[in-house]
Amino acid sequence: MLVLLGATPALPLDEAGKYVAGAYVVFLALIVVYVAIMAAKLQRIERELRELASFAEQGLPGMPGREAEDMPADVKAQPVPVSDRNLTPSEAATGRPDRVQGSPDV
Amino acid sequence: MYGKGLKSLSIATTFALVAALALVFFYAPLDGDQGFIQKIFYLHVPLAITALIGFVVGGVFAIAHLRSGDSRWDAYSYVSIHMSVIFGVAVLITGSIWAKASWGHWWVWDEPTLVSFLIVFLMYATYYPFRYAIEDRDQQARYASVFAIVAGAFVPLNFMAVRMAQSLVHPRVFATTNGGLPGSMMLTFLASLLAIGLLWVTLVKFELTAKSASGQVKRLRRALDAPAPGGRSRVAPEVG
Repeated sequence: MLVLLGATPALPLDEAGKYVAGAYVVFLALIVVYVAIMAAKLQRIERELRELASFAEQGLPGMPGREAEDMPADVKAQPVPVSDRNLTPSEAATGRPDRVQGSPDV
Repeated sequence: MYGKGLKSLSIATTFALVAALALVFFYAPLDGDQGFIQKIFYLHVPLAITALIGFVVGGVFAIAHLRSGDSRWDAYSYVSIHMSVIFGVAVLITGSIWAKASWGHWWVWDEPTLVSFLIVFLMYATYYPFRYAIEDRDQQARYASVFAIVAGAFVPLNFMAVRMAQSLVHPRVFATTNGGLPGSMMLTFLASLLAIGLLWVTLVKFELTAKSASGQVKRLRRALDAPAPGGRSRVAPEVG
């Protein structure tokens, strides 16, 4: 690597050097800030998933331990109907789920 | 689903960026007029082109959303515009640095290219408050799509109007008359454009994957959040 760097021509880092460096550093900084924001989002998703996973492992209330696994398959596979769960404001207004399955949350 | 191919795309983007930077600093010759400052051109112009194309792409996705009603197209449109706005910030900052080094001013108000890009950028900056001012999600997606189509159509019109204007100071480096870029500079520029374009695609895919994962977690939480016997929620309230 040092040999490669030694063989490369010297850059004319005079007065213009600081401006060119500034432009490229700004670009790099924007990417780093973006990646940091995305990392924070990923941490939040991971925390929520861990919380939901621990809840699922504990089983449903009234069915302690692993008893929830003994439910009939058709009961387990039943999606929660809109009317049986806490509704979001838009669901309450429209009377239907506010997200299409598989679509990302915008 | 959105994360498919993200790893290989990220690796390709990294290689493309490193190769482009190597070409910029160790292959492309110094510009006879501007000297070393011209190296900003290989960053600033590809960023601007990618951002403007991204705005138009957001409009095309919005058309697909209005035609099909599929909210995935709305997500594509939103993320395309979001990423182009971020690239737009980089365009404005790197352009200002170049202007200061080349013309001695951070900003020149009588230069059509600069002002027109600022207008496009500010127009898209209003996309977020416009979108999130609407509470109903279907209506929000529809209105945002209409905005994206109208604004996306404005971008090429604006570009053509500026090209037809008699600019005083902004260089026209792709002109076919009076020279243009020599081969080595053009190769470097195309490598930079490819690298920045790949970066845009990678970040869009990255953002879509993160939003999809977040949406899936919220769906799972809602599904598990059916009231337990006794009326209490079985899942702790959402954090953040």
